[in-house]
Amino acid sequence: MKQIRKFAPALIVAAPFVILMSVFLIWPTLTTIEKAFIHDDEFSFFNMARAMTGTYKDSFITTAQLSFVTSIIGGGIGLLMAILLRTLPVESRSRTLADSWSAVASQLGGLPLAFAFIALLGTQGILTKILAAIGIDLVELGFSLTGLAGWALVYLYFQIPLMFLIMTPAVTSLRSSWFESATSMGASTWQFWRAVGLPILLPTIVTGFVLLFVNSFSAYATAYALSTGAGQLIPLQIRFILQGNVITGEDELGFAIVTWALLLLALSLVAVTLLQRRVSRWTEQ
Amino acid sequence: MNTLSKFARTGFWILLIGYFLLPMLAMARFAFQTIPSFLLTTENVFQGWGLGSLAVAFQDAGVIKSTILSLQLCATTIALTFLVLVPLTTYVEVSAPRLKPWLSGATVATWLVPPVALVVGVAATFREVFPSFLTSPFTLTFFYSLWTLPFTYRAIDGQLRLIGAKNLFEAAQSVGCGPILFFFKVILPNIKSSLYISATLIFASVLGEFTFASLLLKQTMPVYLWSFQTEQARAGFALALLVMVATALILGFAVARLRRRGLNFSVTGI
Repeated sequence: MKQIRKFAPALIVAAPFVILMSVFLIWPTLTTIEKAFIHDDEFSFFNMARAMTGTYKDSFITTAQLSFVTSIIGGGIGLLMAILLRTLPVESRSRTLADSWSAVASQLGGLPLAFAFIALLGTQGILTKILAAIGIDLVELGFSLTGLAGWALVYLYFQIPLMFLIMTPAVTSLRSSWFESATSMGASTWQFWRAVGLPILLPTIVTGFVLLFVNSFSAYATAYALSTGAGQLIPLQIRFILQGNVITGEDELGFAIVTWALLLLALSLVAVTLLQRRVSRWTEQ
Repeated sequence: MNTLSKFARTGFWILLIGYFLLPMLAMARFAFQTIPSFLLTTENVFQGWGLGSLAVAFQDAGVIKSTILSLQLCATTIALTFLVLVPLTTYVEVSAPRLKPWLSGATVATWLVPPVALVVGVAATFREVFPSFLTSPFTLTFFYSLWTLPFTYRAIDGQLRLIGAKNLFEAAQSVGCGPILFFFKVILPNIKSSLYISATLIFASVLGEFTFASLLLKQTMPVYLWSFQTEQARAGFALALLVMVATALILGFAVARLRRRGLNFSVTGI
């Protein structure tokens, strides 16, 4: 009785959280994974194997390519932004603007972003027309908002600011005394970054890269609005199967695709956690 | 060498700012100028501007209906998230600090499962066990609440540490104040500002959420916007621009306030 009285408050405050997490997150996720391994009422790898063939395999490759390209380019530009703004004081107007804008833009996925790029670079887009007037035909050059290059260009809009947000704290924490001692010994700016700055930042850079990859891999709304619905990206394939008529076996395939995606994301995040642990151990020393 | 690097630096910023600004400007032009892009010349570039398309959008019954639904979802999500998180976070901070890493990890776990993946599981689970549950649009509240846990938890936790909730509780106990009274009279008034900021962030993310609503076939504002713009392209784009500017302002405001408090807005939560 005394035990119950002692733990009652804890149970009452924790109950809503536990219920929310288990009913709406853990249960559906486990069901999906479980169903991915059941075919003809038996445990089997049939669905998982099928999800890695034909168009589905192509979708995984396309999505991975898109995520990889936008993480590398977005990561690079975001990092450069953070480095260039490093010397500005935190309270300065440009820093506040860059920080706030990045926080906003990193969240600006979705329909409006896709609309904005359609107005700019769609077939009737204003920049498409201006470029055509000076003799550059985007369509002829193979550029389209529904292709890999087009998607990448739009995704960078939220990838660059996300990398900037991730890198800024790490870049700011680089001590300016390191830079001064390097330059006083005759090192150039480039030499400092190559020999000191970038190696120190490397774990954070890799973390940022993985997070960008995950972010791009699971982006849905932007991809949906840019393609005509049944595109070749994994999130769109999932939708296609989910909303298609439930032909026997097709829903199992959906579960398998989701399970593969979850596996990939989980692996990435485990990698990030291990990295972060290494970083914190390193900085404590 | 130095002028060259200065030149490159300026070029980098111009390109970047252009990249971020041009799509927005193009969208604004499309929404607020009646001349189609293929008829646009240097002579008529200043003609045909007006806010008529916004008026069209606001006169559409579906826009109003879906906006109301989205605003209601914002309110229910804020309420549920606070109900789930505020007492628990306070309890853990005050009485069980060793559970903190677990709570922090659990809130971030929601981002391990992207919405498009979670929806598949939700459809598979609830359609079999409790099919009527998915028919109400307010079902979305639970998923939105899950989705906003990571940043809401961080905002509340940061504020609790800032006010020294643990010491306050010991002080309150020593003058005979019970835990419930302490929560309502001491904690809530003191973390008010961080609750406002969290509510703003939740508001902005729920207002623009597309994935869950679209896949569960609920007519929230972004979902309706998609079908609306296929018929009324200019009005649809005008509305999308308005939503985006509003979201940007709301988020910018919240982030600026977080910064002033020395807290960082980290979208990744890690």
